[in-house]
Amino acid sequence: MSTTATAASEQDLHARSPLGTEILRVESLTKHFPIRGGLFRRQVGAVQAVDDVSFAVRAGETVGLVGESGCGKSTTGRCIVRLLDPTDGQIYFKGVDLAGLTSRRMRELRREIQIMFQDPYASLNPRISVNEIIGEPLRIFGRYRGEHKGKERVAELMRLVGLNPEHGNRFPHEFSGGQRQRIGVARALALDPQLIILDEPVSALDVSIQAQVINLLDELQERLGLAYLFIAHDLSVVRHLCDRVAVMYLGKIVEFGTKHEIFDNPTHPYTQALLSAVPITDPRMRGKRERIMLEGDVPSPSNPPSGCRFRTRCWKAEEICATEVPELTDRFGHGHPSACHFAEPRAVLRVDPS
Amino acid sequence: MTEPLLSIRDLVTEFATPDGVVHAVDGVSYDVYPGETLGVVGESGSGKSVTVMSILGLIPQPPGRVANGEVLLEGRDLLTLSEREMRLVRGKEIAMIFQDPMTSLNPVLTVGDQLSEAIVTHDADIGEDAARERVVGLLELVGVPNADDRFDQYPHEYSGGMRQRAMIAMAIANQPKVLIADEPTTALDVTIQAQVLEVLQKAQDETNAGTILITHDLGVIAEMADRVVVMYGGRVVESGTAEEIFHSPKHPYTLGLLSSLTRPNVDLERLEPIPGQPPSLINLPSGCSFHPRCHLGQGRAVCRSEVPPLLELGVGRRSACHFHEEMSQEVARVEQETGAHFDGEL
Repeated sequence: MSTTATAASEQDLHARSPLGTEILRVESLTKHFPIRGGLFRRQVGAVQAVDDVSFAVRAGETVGLVGESGCGKSTTGRCIVRLLDPTDGQIYFKGVDLAGLTSRRMRELRREIQIMFQDPYASLNPRISVNEIIGEPLRIFGRYRGEHKGKERVAELMRLVGLNPEHGNRFPHEFSGGQRQRIGVARALALDPQLIILDEPVSALDVSIQAQVINLLDELQERLGLAYLFIAHDLSVVRHLCDRVAVMYLGKIVEFGTKHEIFDNPTHPYTQALLSAVPITDPRMRGKRERIMLEGDVPSPSNPPSGCRFRTRCWKAEEICATEVPELTDRFGHGHPSACHFAEPRAVLRVDPS
Repeated sequence: MTEPLLSIRDLVTEFATPDGVVHAVDGVSYDVYPGETLGVVGESGSGKSVTVMSILGLIPQPPGRVANGEVLLEGRDLLTLSEREMRLVRGKEIAMIFQDPMTSLNPVLTVGDQLSEAIVTHDADIGEDAARERVVGLLELVGVPNADDRFDQYPHEYSGGMRQRAMIAMAIANQPKVLIADEPTTALDVTIQAQVLEVLQKAQDETNAGTILITHDLGVIAEMADRVVVMYGGRVVESGTAEEIFHSPKHPYTLGLLSSLTRPNVDLERLEPIPGQPPSLINLPSGCSFHPRCHLGQGRAVCRSEVPPLLELGVGRRSACHFHEEMSQEVARVEQETGAHFDGEL
């Protein structure tokens, strides 16, 4: 009886969800890294890398997690694939709580959720050939099925990402940065995942190569119905690739909305400051848009400010900001939650035509 | 136009490698005028950094060698100076801001001591108190808060943005005529980048230095540069004002960069990347080194056989493309394909 039940839910997990249904739900995800000190290495504090983060990803869509260094976007991604164990909170993949899974079931699930990293130099083993790199996940999951079929599948994956299968015997150092990222994509695709976590996949690349990889990710999503969680600091790339965007600051999501809500109608002061700082590639717009210059630097996540974490750099901050944590709720009925006591839309990217 | 402050003429810098001699810079010429910002764009290996290292006499020798050309600073050829004479130029007449302030500041000296050193090196009589006063003034100018306390701190006590401010302060300490900033904000987050660019602008206004801003980030170029030089495979392929470069490019490589670009304020239908990889300098393609990746050339014979000369199309407007007259149709085609508007329609 119980075996059939398990088998059934296993089936469900690997079956493709129809486009638009929720496949990943993150609830109150929290990750604190202990700081140890003193003679007995007791815990003396914690780096609150991610604090009470909730969001969902639907099948076939791209959700962007954006923010500056140290905002917790990569930690969030790593918790989802359980490269890090969350301190608190739940992660549901198609309704199954990943935290409650045995390591055996978790391993099964790893097929469905893949991750791809930023640095194409550090994320590929330099000692094994590309065939082996892409074939490795297949072998681990018993899908290599003999030399002939296995090689065939690897060649197919290489063609899928625009690499020449004849180069499969080469080693990573023989490829350029952009080609290495393609190898990373092929490896992530090997097990037919439904969700890929892309952690700054194009940040290390030159602009012309960046565009090649962006187009590849776009095409693969369309062809394979993949969902992406796209972690990036480059807001222009996020605008191009993402359907919905979560903006993070110091471990918390401060604003979440569709791409157009976030870019054209930002309501959180941090989102507004971030957008106003992005250079616009049009010299005629120079000096024609408002600039919000933030004072100072991001505070330490081991000792974040009370109340709203952004208040120490915010021009709107008042007393309530120090005492009350602003909730991430829909404040204007736009279906676009914002975590600011004084949220108000302001189109910072729009240019004064005069 | 006034006289250029710095003129680079036919500069050739080569490196001996096990696979043969590589021309990292191959016949580069450009001018820098007082008070202007000249943006130099290009991808990894385009020779943009090697050019300025050659200007400063910082090419490691061997394997490197400046094989040809002139670098005229107000008429004086820097390439003919001795190392001792060059030391008086560096940091005094030409100052440099590097990409990574963590590795370019000495971790065991306080920031204040390092800035003072920059001043004392070129003005031995100044005295400790006066030097400190100047340094504190400089730190205030670049927006380091509590400059007097910060003077005695070490680089690791500064954040990335603050370190880059300190680097800018050091660079302008001796009122240089030419300021070179090599990827000054690449390692920084966007809100910090905006702060640092503002400080850089202020530092330039203060000193009226001619600035060479090297970056691969076209957004930074669009925000900062008055004129732009585009480099590819060790050569200049296009130059013009920032508006000309962004709105009416005359070289297919420049257009390729623009059509590869995602934009924060525009929804594009698709990107049109430049196919293939940047060329290996060991094995530069024949003729126009961009031809294997070029959409405009379509493999025409002249592109494969002849190196296109850098033609003067107007005052300060240059293009090294055999078919630069066809660029307006090419721009129109790319606009159609990507949904971008290069004519500057808002």
